[in-house]
Amino acid sequence: MAILTVIGVGSRLRGDDAIGPLLIDALSRQTHSQIELVDAGSDALGILEYLEGREHVVVIDACQMGREAGSVVEFDAAEIDFVLKDDPISLHGLGLAESIKMAASLNMIPEDLKIIGIEPESIQFNGSLSIPVQRALKMAVDIVEDKLNRVSQLAEA
Amino acid sequence: MSRDLDIKVHHLTRVEGHGNIVVNMKDGVLEKAHLSIVEPPRFFEAMMKGRSFHEAAIITSRICGICSLGHQLTSLVATEDALGLEISEQTSLLRKLLIHGATLQSNILHAYFLAAPDFLNVGSVFPLIATHKDVVLRALRMKRLANDIGDIVSGRAVHPITPVPGGFSRIPEKAELLEIKRRLLEEALPDGLETIETMKALAGAIPQFERETEYISLKHPDEYALYEGDIFSSDTGAISVHKYLDVTNEFVVNHSTSKHAKYNRNSYFVGALARWNNNHAQLGEEAHAAAEAMGLKPNCYNPYMNTIAQVVEAVHCILDSVRIIDRLMEMGLKNEKPNQTPTRYGRGIGSNEVPRGILFHDYTYDNKGNIIKANCIIPTGQNLANIDDDMMKLVPEIINKTKEEITLNLEMLVRAYDPCISCSVHMLEVDFIE
Repeated sequence: MAILTVIGVGSRLRGDDAIGPLLIDALSRQTHSQIELVDAGSDALGILEYLEGREHVVVIDACQMGREAGSVVEFDAAEIDFVLKDDPISLHGLGLAESIKMAASLNMIPEDLKIIGIEPESIQFNGSLSIPVQRALKMAVDIVEDKLNRVSQLAEA
Repeated sequence: MSRDLDIKVHHLTRVEGHGNIVVNMKDGVLEKAHLSIVEPPRFFEAMMKGRSFHEAAIITSRICGICSLGHQLTSLVATEDALGLEISEQTSLLRKLLIHGATLQSNILHAYFLAAPDFLNVGSVFPLIATHKDVVLRALRMKRLANDIGDIVSGRAVHPITPVPGGFSRIPEKAELLEIKRRLLEEALPDGLETIETMKALAGAIPQFERETEYISLKHPDEYALYEGDIFSSDTGAISVHKYLDVTNEFVVNHSTSKHAKYNRNSYFVGALARWNNNHAQLGEEAHAAAEAMGLKPNCYNPYMNTIAQVVEAVHCILDSVRIIDRLMEMGLKNEKPNQTPTRYGRGIGSNEVPRGILFHDYTYDNKGNIIKANCIIPTGQNLANIDDDMMKLVPEIINKTKEEITLNLEMLVRAYDPCISCSVHMLEVDFIE
C-alpha cells in the first residue's frame, strides 16, 4: 500500500520541462513499493485524479520562479500565490496552477500537498535537460526519499 | 457606422506573439481581424527523422497532454499504411473505443470549462465552482470515466503505451470492459443527459452569427466517422486520405507563425460542427434528440454552435462505446499479438478525427523501418484561416456594441474552436511573497 504519491508534470519533449516525468522515471528504477508514481505528462488537470483519498502528495514541475536555473524549491500548495492564466483561450491554458486552485475550491487538496518547483533554463521543443536541471533532478530524488522516510516514520508512529 | 476600433488581446504573454487577437478598423473600414497563434508541430520533421517505426507513435503521443491519444493513433495508422501492416477487427474496435474516450473527455471539458463560463458571463470556470459545484463535479466525473477508458484499453490514460503498430501489446480483460460498460450506462449516460439540460439552459447566450463555409471531416459509409474514412468536403464530396495535401494546401501568412489551409474556398472548418454537418445522418436517435433539445440543426453555419455539436458527440461516444464493448464481447476477446512484420517500406498517411478536427500524419520509411520524412497537419492549423474569415464578417455585424462586448464576442469565437495553442504551456508561474 502506497503511503506517498509523487506526481510528475511536464512534457518530455520540451527541454527542462521534462523534469517532472524524468523524476518519475528515476524513482521507478528504485522500486519503492511505498510510493505511488504518476507521470501526468502535460495534462495538468489529470492531477485531480490522484489527490482524493491521499494523505501525502508531492507534485514536481518546472516552475517559473524568477530564480537561477536549476533552483529547487519545495513549497506548500497553500502557502503561495500562483499566477493564474485567467480567461484561457483553450483547454491548454488549464495548467497546474489552475488545477490546484480547482482542487482547492472542491476541497480535494490532501492535508499534505507539497510542490517541488525547479527553475528551468530552457523549455524549447526538442531540447534536452540542461546541466543545472540535471543537477536539480538528483536533488529532487533526494527530497522525495527524505520525504518518504519522514512519512513512513509518521505511519509507524 | 464610421468609427475606429483597435483591439489587441494578448492571451499568452509568456509565449511571445502567439494566441493574440488583433482587430483594426479605421474610418469604418475593417483593415485587420485575425488570430495569431503558434503551431506546435513545426519541429515535427526534425523530431521524427531517424526514428524507428516502434518509436514514432510514442514520441508523437508526447506532443500534447490533451491531444496525446489522437496523435498516437494517427501515427499508428500512418505507420501501418507505410509498412503494409494489416490490423484485426478487434484492434480497430479497441481503437474506436479509445477515440470515443478521448472525444468524450475533450468535448465535455471544453463545454463545461471553457464555453459554459462564457455563456454565463463569469470569465472563467472558477466562479462556477462556488455557484455550480454539482455541475463542475459532473464534468470531472465524466472526465474520469473517459480517462479510465483510456487507462484500461491503452494501459495508461495520459500517454497511452499498449497501442503499438499492428495492434495492442496488451488486451484489456473482459471484466474491465464490462465494468466500463456498466459505468457508461449507470454514470456517464445520466451525466450526459444532465449535460444536455445544462447546455439547453445556456443555449440562449450563444451569439447569433452565421457564416456558411466549407466543412471538412472524415466520412465513412457505415458509421459516424472518427477513426477511419475518406476526407469529405461539404463543397465537393469525398477525396482519398492519400490526397490530403490537395485539401490542406498550406500557405504562409504574415500575421501567424502557423501556416493556414484552404481547399475550395478561402478557408474551411474542421471539428465537431464540420462532423455534424457532414455526418449527422449517421448519429443515433439519442444524439439527434440531444441536438434537437439544444437547438442544433443540420446544416448549422454558426461557429459558436461547435460547442453544442461537441455535446451531441459526447452522447454518441457514450452510447457507441457501449455498442463497441457489446461487439467485443460477442466476438470474444482474443489475446492477439500485434502484426509487426512489414510487407513494404515507403510512404503512409494516417488520418483520424480528433476532438478538434481532422488530423494528418504522413511518414516515409526507409527499408530499415526508420523515418526519413515526416509531416503532421493539426486541426487548429486548418481552422485558423476560417477563424480569421469569421472575424472579418463578425466585427462589422457587432460594431455597435461596446469595445468590451466586441472583444468578448471575439474571444468566445476563438474559444468555440478550442484551438490547440501550444501543447505544453502549462508551466507553473509562481510569485513568492517575500
